[in-house]
Amino acid sequence: MSVGYVVKKSVVSTSLLALATAFEMVSKSDPELKKEIADWEDGRTFSMGVLPEGPAITLKKEGDRVVYMGKGIKNPKLTIYFKNVDAALLPLAGMMGAHTAFIQHRAILHGNIAEAMQTNRALAIVQNYLLPGIILKGITKRPPKMNASQLMLKAKVMALLGAGLAKNMIK
Amino acid sequence: MKVQEYYEFSCPVKIVSGLKALSNLPYEMDQLGARRALIVTDQGVVAAGLLKVVKGVFEGSGAEIGAIYDQTPTDSGVKAVNQVAKMFTENKCDCFVAVGGGSCMDTTKGANMVVTEGTDDLLKFQGAERLKKPMKPFIAIPTTAGTGSEVTLAAVIYDEEKKQKMAFTSYYLLPQVAILDPKMTLTMPPKITAATGMDALTHAIEGYYCLQKNPVSDVFCKAGIELIMENLVKCIESPKDEKARLAMANGALLAGIGFSNSMVGAVHSLAHSCGANARVPHGVANAILLPWGMEYNLNKAGDDIAELAPLLGAPTSGSKTDQAKAAIKAVRDLNARLKTLSGLPTTLKDAGVREDQLEAIAKGAINDGAATYNPEDLTYEDALAILKKAF
Repeated sequence: MSVGYVVKKSVVSTSLLALATAFEMVSKSDPELKKEIADWEDGRTFSMGVLPEGPAITLKKEGDRVVYMGKGIKNPKLTIYFKNVDAALLPLAGMMGAHTAFIQHRAILHGNIAEAMQTNRALAIVQNYLLPGIILKGITKRPPKMNASQLMLKAKVMALLGAGLAKNMIK
Repeated sequence: MKVQEYYEFSCPVKIVSGLKALSNLPYEMDQLGARRALIVTDQGVVAAGLLKVVKGVFEGSGAEIGAIYDQTPTDSGVKAVNQVAKMFTENKCDCFVAVGGGSCMDTTKGANMVVTEGTDDLLKFQGAERLKKPMKPFIAIPTTAGTGSEVTLAAVIYDEEKKQKMAFTSYYLLPQVAILDPKMTLTMPPKITAATGMDALTHAIEGYYCLQKNPVSDVFCKAGIELIMENLVKCIESPKDEKARLAMANGALLAGIGFSNSMVGAVHSLAHSCGANARVPHGVANAILLPWGMEYNLNKAGDDIAELAPLLGAPTSGSKTDQAKAAIKAVRDLNARLKTLSGLPTTLKDAGVREDQLEAIAKGAINDGAATYNPEDLTYEDALAILKKAF
């Protein structure tokens, strides 16, 4: 395995974990995300991963928030697969919007499309907390407008992300 | 012309088009190594005498009809899919022949999945590219000039038990052959001709400005628009004009190839939801919503929409924005003309939508996959605003 591939796989793996960690953190406090997931049935599980057997994460709705279930595809109702590590790299590293990943055939969906749309909207909200506004402006159809409390939450997410990552790494 | 950073395109369907093209059905079956067909159709096709026409081409051909399923519902469902699959196996058929509109095609695609994968649980194939092996031979004979299902890789099937719509996309779902014969669309009443024609025009227009567009799909979409604009009104004014009918069938097919690769956007998201929530026929909803959807995308896709002005018969003077606005006006003018000629509704209210249904329609629209491909972000509030304008 080349060094380049190992590096790319590590970036993808870490980015997925960061997304999962941020999802947990943001779902605890952001009203917009809470509203988005309010209609999801309790226990809804979804995964994101890289084909054929690359890095993957599984998340689950529990109560009014989303929790990280651990690495790998764990019997999800819905899975977003990236076709390969290269396909996953740009969207997960925040250099490409989720919609562009689908438009460019980088990602495919296994499961119900309506639920995938809901998941994508939720992921987009989480991404708003992970990426700087200037990057979001370039990769989203419509850049988010965050209010003061959301900006404070963003600062908190950024400050605590490292600790959250360390905790989730052992899951 | 811009070449997208990345795109994919595929259309492996053999197209057999022309007067008497239907006579080649047994030959095409033979080419696919098949000789015993299961015909999937509906009562509308039977009543129009078109099944009799299809039966006629088997005479003296060596090929035979193993069974006929003529109970396809308006919206394809799991129950019909399982019945068709059972008939296919029990009657030892070796190919599917779908004769009808989108529902017959989708029912056949679903039954082919069931037969090929040996499953009765389609749920596990929901989503994109989950099928891994070639399916049974499938020949599509459209009797409307609209859906383009004969060349699209998608199928939508309703699960009556779980009360949910399942969507499937796979290149394996595509038929091997599409037969376009004008005699199969000659009996279409004016209003259905108008609605299905506007469905095709919506495929071509949205396919041209939505985000997955590419240089190859652009060619198909533009050619589709040209044929539809030249022939849709002709087909309504002179329903027995075989040349116009054949041209419309080709226009719908070209639009189908285009949008199957470029996908569609907000107009379709909203139209699907109008169908699900208020039973508005798909073509009618598309016709009503198309100018509003184009207008909604003016900021993000104005230049692409402007390029369609000459094809839509709109003036090509002024700025790009002027041309795009002229293109939208041309679609509105066409809708108005179709209303006069065929009674095609031009507002959601006229199409039977109640104002209290708009919120549910907007909610459904943002959960429709087509919204992903729309240039402008489609939020619930935006969807509701478009619906209110179209109401």
